[in-house]
Amino acid sequence: MTPKPEFYPNEQPEHPLTLKSMMGAKEGNFGSLFCAGCGYGIIGQLFTKVFDKEALDPLAYPLVLGIGCYTQMVTILHHGIQKIVALHGRAPAIATGLKLANPSLKPIVMTGDGDCLGIGTNHFVHLCRRNLDCLVILFNNGIYGMTGGQVAPTTPKGYKTGTTMGPAFENTIDGVQLALAAGASHVARITIAHPRTFMKYLKTGLKHEGTSVIEVITPCVTYFGKKNVDNGGNSLASGGAMLQWIRHSTTWRNQAALLDDDELAGKYVIGEFKLDGGKLEYSEQYDQIRKRAMKSGDDGTV
Amino acid sequence: MGNVAMAEGAMAAGLQFFAGYPITPSTEVLELLSHRLPETGGTFIQMEDEIASINAMIGASLAGAKVMTATSGPGTALMAETISMAACLEIPFVICDVQRNGPGTGFVTAPHHNDIMQCKYSGNGEYEVIAFAPMSCQELFDLTIEAFNMAEKFRCPTFILSDAYLGHLHEQVRIPPAKELEARVVERLPPDRETKRFFTFRDDAGAIHIPPPPRVGQDPFPAYLFSQPHGADGIPVEKDRALEFIERICHKVTDNVDSIAMTDEYLVDDADIIIIAYGLPARVSYDVVNKARSTGIAIGLIRLVTVWPFPYEKLKQLIAGKRVLILPEMNQGMIAGEIERVMDELSRIERIPSIGDIHHPDSIMKVVKEVARKS
Ligand SMILES: Cc1ncc(C[n+]2csc(CCOP(=O)(O)OP(=O)(O)O)c2C)c(N)n1
Ligand code: SF4
Repeated sequence: MTPKPEFYPNEQPEHPLTLKSMMGAKEGNFGSLFCAGCGYGIIGQLFTKVFDKEALDPLAYPLVLGIGCYTQMVTILHHGIQKIVALHGRAPAIATGLKLANPSLKPIVMTGDGDCLGIGTNHFVHLCRRNLDCLVILFNNGIYGMTGGQVAPTTPKGYKTGTTMGPAFENTIDGVQLALAAGASHVARITIAHPRTFMKYLKTGLKHEGTSVIEVITPCVTYFGKKNVDNGGNSLASGGAMLQWIRHSTTWRNQAALLDDDELAGKYVIGEFKLDGGKLEYSEQYDQIRKRAMKSGDDGTV
Repeated sequence: MGNVAMAEGAMAAGLQFFAGYPITPSTEVLELLSHRLPETGGTFIQMEDEIASINAMIGASLAGAKVMTATSGPGTALMAETISMAACLEIPFVICDVQRNGPGTGFVTAPHHNDIMQCKYSGNGEYEVIAFAPMSCQELFDLTIEAFNMAEKFRCPTFILSDAYLGHLHEQVRIPPAKELEARVVERLPPDRETKRFFTFRDDAGAIHIPPPPRVGQDPFPAYLFSQPHGADGIPVEKDRALEFIERICHKVTDNVDSIAMTDEYLVDDADIIIIAYGLPARVSYDVVNKARSTGIAIGLIRLVTVWPFPYEKLKQLIAGKRVLILPEMNQGMIAGEIERVMDELSRIERIPSIGDIHHPDSIMKVVKEVARKS
């Protein structure tokens, strides 16, 4: 038999939080497979930190991941959480089945911009429409990372990808506006350059009853970064440069209100867009229907 | 109505969760279950499409529920990718495919057994399925219970292949008393706490074991669930063990073909002409055999109650030495192709295709008389 390849660097964890991750709890080391400078490692750590701090029952928060680079995040997410990797784009539908078959669960969906706003848009829209009790964390890196840098429905106009002849020219889709229009009751956008606010939104999302959508702008250094330059012509091929670019491309919601359309073009508007705790959630609504049906015994049979 | 009998069979089998999307000729199943399920504490949801339906279904199955959907050929086509994923993760579920004419939209209220191959081969990868082919409303009730049991025992995609006529056929169904039904139902077992084996494995002696599936919300659970070749603990294996994995999920079904596949042999022993049929054409064929026998023709019938897994060995023995094999199928001869794999050189096949309609007994009788005359 060929010797087993060393997948994970055998480093001693620098931070005690590492041991809370799946790889940490299992192997005692750090198990990130992401490119240097990728945002997913940071997001995974922040998530695990919040989940651990809030001392939530891991068995009540099953995690359903879509397909993309972030799928590898399983190794650094909280070890106690049950993790299911869906097919590309289908995580919201699996989460719907989980929640309805066992309403005591609160599924968490982790999805990418290609996964959620490309192949799986339909399921995402209807999850929000039902206001199913579920937290969706949507990673927007403006590109298809896993398959090697093709154009995404979120690639900002003017940036290069592997499947656009020159710069991307298609109109983009806005995950936050889509979630709002579809009826999600908690909607926010933030970037990994704002870790504290991200953690705050996460906390809100985990406790919210209803569909919570948190879009996170995160860098893909390897594909988006290497193919593109910033306004000044400087390469974006490093984590630092990408973080700078993200900072310059964002505007807080209250400031955005003062800008006109031209000034807002190509900007990510960040902040909390909606938080409505009073909106009836789907499984609760169905529970009322079920109670009524069980009492009346009117099963509608002909 | 056939669709109602099927839905009631599912309820009797312990159905707890149904996700579906309306499509003729299966829609009555959705309409009925949207009432029946909440009334008995279960859950019904109409999803945004068939892809969503089957994904919601596997989510619910992972949470421990007995699940089903009902659809027709175009819906089964949309589900293909997820059927393949569920086969990989050995998630139990039942799909009722009320077959309609194709390809494309076709004649939506006309029957056509054109999903015989689709139910087995539409998804990527190599895996086995179980498929029942009922021929009456009573069987739609009884075999649906059996389908749920098989899905639990063998943890592979399980189909009920109904069709536009059968689904809308009106005839009486006997529903046995609750006690009798309960005794027939195989329950979902909790995951094995001690061994922490969640997926099919071979023991040291090489025997295959199918443990109960993992359940979301309960310990123990695999480190993560990912539809990749994996071991009994769910951890993905290296590429050099992928064959072993595929062999396991296929052999758990094919090695047990004798306990899964159901056939009915009618007057086969002394016959030199054999009709082989499944679904509604089989029902017509019993009459044809009786009539032909009364005129002195040595004819018999092999009825496939299940079409997958295909009982190759058993059929090989049953048809050995038979002169003519007549296959009245509601397609161009999908199962005839499987029979060709096991028949000997001296036999020959007569296909009688019927598309969009059921065979008239006379159309089969005509062929029977022709081949009998030539003997
Ligand atoms: C049905 C199907 N089509 C295509 C793919 C290939 N594929 C895998 S990941 C991916 C894109 C993922 O993009 P995104 O969700 O943005 O995640 P990222 O990799 O950028 O993190 C694609 C197209 C697939 N797995 N399944
Ligand atoms: S390809 Fe991009 S998204 Fe994927 S790990 Fe590398 S930097 Fe991250």
